[in-house]
This record gives sequence, structure tokens and C-alpha cells, in this order.
Amino acid sequence: MENESRKPIIHLTDIRKNFFIGTPNELKVLKGINLTVYEGEFVAVVGASGSGKSTLMNIIGALDRPTSGGYVLDDVDVISAKDSELSGIRNKKIGFVFQTYNLIAKTNALRNVEMPMLYAGVGRKERTQRAEELMELVGMGDRMKHLPEELSGGQKQRVAIARAMANDPAIILADEPTGALDSETGRLVMDIFHKLHKEQGKTIVLITHSPELAEETERLITLKDGEIVGEREGHGHDDAV
Amino acid sequence: MMMLYENFRLALFSLKANKMRSLLTMLGIIIGVSSVIAIMSAGDSISAKLSDTMEGFGANNIQIYLDFREEYDGDYYYDYTDLMNRDMLIDFGQHFNDRLKAISVTSEVGATDVKRDKDAAKVTVMGATLGTFLIDDVKLKDGRFFTIGETDTAAKVAIVSTKYVDTMYAGKAKDALGEGVTIEIGGKTYKFTIVGVYEYKDAFAGMGMSSGDNVRTNLYIPYQAAQNIIHEDYIFNCTVMAKQGVDQEQLIKDMEDFFEKYYYSNNERIHVVCYSMSSVIDEATSLINTVTIGISVIAGIALLVGGIGVMNIMLVSITERTREIGTRKALGAPNSSIRIQFIIEAVVICLIGGMIGILFGSGLGAIAAALMKTSPMPSLRAILISLSFSTAIGIFFGFYPANKAAKMDPIEALRYE
Repeated sequence: MENESRKPIIHLTDIRKNFFIGTPNELKVLKGINLTVYEGEFVAVVGASGSGKSTLMNIIGALDRPTSGGYVLDDVDVISAKDSELSGIRNKKIGFVFQTYNLIAKTNALRNVEMPMLYAGVGRKERTQRAEELMELVGMGDRMKHLPEELSGGQKQRVAIARAMANDPAIILADEPTGALDSETGRLVMDIFHKLHKEQGKTIVLITHSPELAEETERLITLKDGEIVGEREGHGHDDAV
Repeated sequence: MMMLYENFRLALFSLKANKMRSLLTMLGIIIGVSSVIAIMSAGDSISAKLSDTMEGFGANNIQIYLDFREEYDGDYYYDYTDLMNRDMLIDFGQHFNDRLKAISVTSEVGATDVKRDKDAAKVTVMGATLGTFLIDDVKLKDGRFFTIGETDTAAKVAIVSTKYVDTMYAGKAKDALGEGVTIEIGGKTYKFTIVGVYEYKDAFAGMGMSSGDNVRTNLYIPYQAAQNIIHEDYIFNCTVMAKQGVDQEQLIKDMEDFFEKYYYSNNERIHVVCYSMSSVIDEATSLINTVTIGISVIAGIALLVGGIGVMNIMLVSITERTREIGTRKALGAPNSSIRIQFIIEAVVICLIGGMIGILFGSGLGAIAAALMKTSPMPSLRAILISLSFSTAIGIFFGFYPANKAAKMDPIEALRYE
């Protein structure tokens, strides 16, 4: 791959994360992760539960800090960022897509999509306009005013993807995005990720335990017991499928 | 600013989502605020009514009367030598000429019926000085008051009321002027000439009552003329009005000193007391204020209990919305945003409760005012106090839960089931 010519978006160096579960015991969850994700890449992180996937995702997502190591996200040194600056990093650099959608209840789809822009201080008109465009992009243009409880799982996840795109983040971080969906709906959601990747050149990090979905990406990173044990190219995704 | 607006919208949203719970939470605030408003507006209207009524009775006039000395311990009785007399008052009037606007001395001659053809008017014959009309706020409808010459010479002139004219001259005051009045007192008849008609004032009108049509009214004759009928020159009491800008308290003291020094220094039983109604009003108003504040403190405790209810429900709400908080944090909400969101939610609960309480309390206050026949006084002060108190309670009791939400670990919160 011609990765070297591309700009690194995520640059993790020797990331370690230890949890204290009462001295002298220390649980080493991540044992020196070195990982670089380049601009426009679609990467899958696979691994069994307990492999450290979630912890890695939390660190990449700036929700958690590593015990040691270096992390530069889109030219921003996350390690040296103050706690108060982390929320800004999450807001502008990262778009989260969760397994359980995590839409805000009693708030319609459009306003859910607007939310990250609200925290970014985007004006009301601009916010609504962008949210509408994103809803169209994920094929939810006809359900903007629906409440989350009026939407199916797949529809909720599409709204969540639109929300992740709101502030045009450096990466989209998707944690088991199809985990709660049936295979058909899951397919639909995956197609949206492919679309964002191909058409918008989005950098996407997909965390999954499904080998089939991981194969669709450009690069598979396999995690086991807190270490990267394998890294290879995926089969890629054919639109015709 | 934008966040503030969004937060208010969000808070209203979350209240609407839990209508019953929100209402129950507000109840404490509603009860507290409505009691404060009701009590304060009732207190205000009672005070206002009181001063109105008292001023109608001449709050700025000073009564001068005889009383037993406090230290006197014997039998309570008056001798004629104990009483004030005309010479004494003339001396007094001259002494305080620079500070007094009017002196009223009245002498009630007696009640009688005046007949004219088939008509009869009930009157109380009242000897009066020129100052009486000013001090008792008697307004002339037609004709004139007495002249100084008439009072000095005890002229046989009379001033009658509009009620008298209604009965005797079909309400035509002009017809009464120059007409004669024959008064029968103690078996003797006296003839007076009407020179003036005064506006009859129903003393009870202000209290929503009427004295009726066939009411006995004062027929004023010069003070000296009255003294000539009853053959007395003794004065139990009189009323004076101070000039504008005169220190009333000092005047009262000086007047008491005057009588003490020149006339009553040798009288071990009786002395002259001067008294102003305004001091009574001051005392009554301050009493009402004290009671109002006292009850308001109790209502404030109700508000405090309401505030604790708000805090309780906010803690419940935050626990329920843990995932939402986690999501918001993941989407980039800074801790301060989360904190403000929940503080505003608590403030909105308290403010809406406060507004309902103000409406409710004003209603209660209006009912109380209607029962007391006073005009309802929607006290702006009470409304402002209530609203700021509600806001303060929202901020105070909302802060702890909001801070708890702000400090949640986003990872834990996202994982919360």
C-alpha cells in the first residue's frame, strides 16, 4: 500500500493501559499498541471480547487516557490535552457510532443530528441546514421529525451515522455498529459506511468481532490480550454485492 | 446565549416528557410561592386600607384632651376647675400661632328635629370654630362658612348639610340660603339663619356601607352661640392641625409642656395629653409588617422543602438519563454544558412552579381583598421576591445534581443500563 504518501490521522505509539484492581495486582489491558491510521483509510479492529478492543476504542475516542504512550489525532497531541480540551477534541475530531445507537430520547432525529454542532457553537440556521443534508445523505430525508422511539434499529443507526458526521470529524469511530441489527439491516448500515468512505473520503475505524464485516475494510487489525497480533489487507467491498 | 436558549428549550422538553412528575415536584414550590404572594398582598392591602381609613379620620390632626396622670392613684373624678376653657385656648392659640394652621373646638348642643311644613330633618346642633371645617374636612357646597365677626359675636347663623337640603328643599341648596331654622333645645326655641350648605360625607361609604337616607347630620352654629345655649365654658378636648413642614412630634411635646407649665402644674390628678393618629398608623403598619414577615418565613420553609423535592427529582432524572449524559459527553459536550443544562432544568421547574404560585397566590390575595372590601394589591415587590427566590432555589438545589451529572465518567455513563 502507498500509505507513506498519505497523512497519518491516528498515530498511536506504545499505548499501554493498566487498571488497578487493588495493589499489588494490576490488570494490563493494553500492552504497547503501535498503530497508524492514514487519511481516508477504512480500518477494522477485530478481536474477541476481553482483547482490549473497547479500551482501545475509548482511548482513540478521547474518552479515556492511556497509562502511558503517545497519541496524536489529526495533528493534535491528545496526551498533553487538558481534560477540558478533550471534549472539544471529541466534538470536532471524532464521530462516534455506537452499537446501541445512543440517540437522545424525546428529541427528534434532526435535533439529534444537530447536537454535536450545538456544542461546537454552530448557528441555528446553519445547524439545521447541515443536519438536513446529512439526513438526506443517510437516506433518512423523509423521517427528520421522527422521534427515536418511532424509528427502527437500522433507521436509528443511520441517524446516528448522520450525527457522527455533523462536525465533519477527522475520523468516524464505529463500535459494533451492526451488532444490534439483523444481517439485512446491518448490510444497509455497512453500505453507508462504504459510501462515506468512497464518496467523502472519510477515515473510518470499525470495531467489530465479526470477521465477515472486517473483511470488507481495507485493513484488518487483530487484537488479542492487549496486543496487535495480526495486520493484513481486507478483501475490500464491492458495490455490486 | 444560544446554549442558554437551547437549554431552556431542552428543559421544557424534559418537563413535558414527565408531566405528572414535574407537576408533583413543582407542588412544593407552588404552595410556597402562593402563600408568600397571598400573605404579602393581603398584608399590603390591609396596611393600605388602614392608612386610608385612618387618614379619613384625620391622621395628621393632633387631639388635645384631658387625662388622669399616670402616677395619680386616687378616685377618678373631674372638677370644673380641671377643665380647659376659652381663655386658656386663646392663650394657647396665640402661643402656637406660628406652628398651627387651625384649631377646632366643638360643643355638642343636642339632637333635635327641625320641621318645615310637612318635612322634618334630623340634626345634631354643633357649635364649631372656623378651624373645625378645615380639620374635619367639611366641604362647602353653597353659601359660606362663618365669618370671624360671627364667631366672636355668637351670631345666629347656621350651616346645614346637603342631606338637610335634600329633605327640606328638595336638594336645592340655593333655596336654603337665607332661610330660617328653628331649633328646640331644652324647651326653648332658638332661631338661626342658614348661610351655608356643606357636602355631606358618609363616614361609612369607604367601608362599603351606607348610613341610609334619613340620617342625622350636623347643623353647625358658631361655637360661642352654642355656649350661650348651654351656658357652659368648659372644654374637654379640641383638635389642632399643624402647618405644613412642622415637626409633629416636637409640636406635641411643646404643646403638652405648655399646658403643664402654665395651667396644670398644680393639678396632681389631671394633665393635658396631645396625641396624633399618625403614630397609631405607624404602629399598626409595623405590626402588620412584622406578622407578614413572620408568616413569610414559614412560607419560605415550604419553599425550602419544595427545593429539596426538586433536588430529589433531579437526582432521579440524572440517574435515568445517565446514558444520555454519556452520549452528550461523547459528542463533545463540555462538563460546564452538562452542568448548566441540569441547573437550568431545575431553575425552569422552580420558575414555572413560581409563576403558577404567583397566579394562585394573587387569586387568593384577590379573594381576601374582596372579602375585606379592599382593592386587591398585586404587589410587584412580592412577585419579584418570589421569582428571584424560585430561581435561587433552582440554582441552589439544582447545583448538586447537575454537578454530579457533569462529573460523570463518559465511559461508565455510556455503559450504564
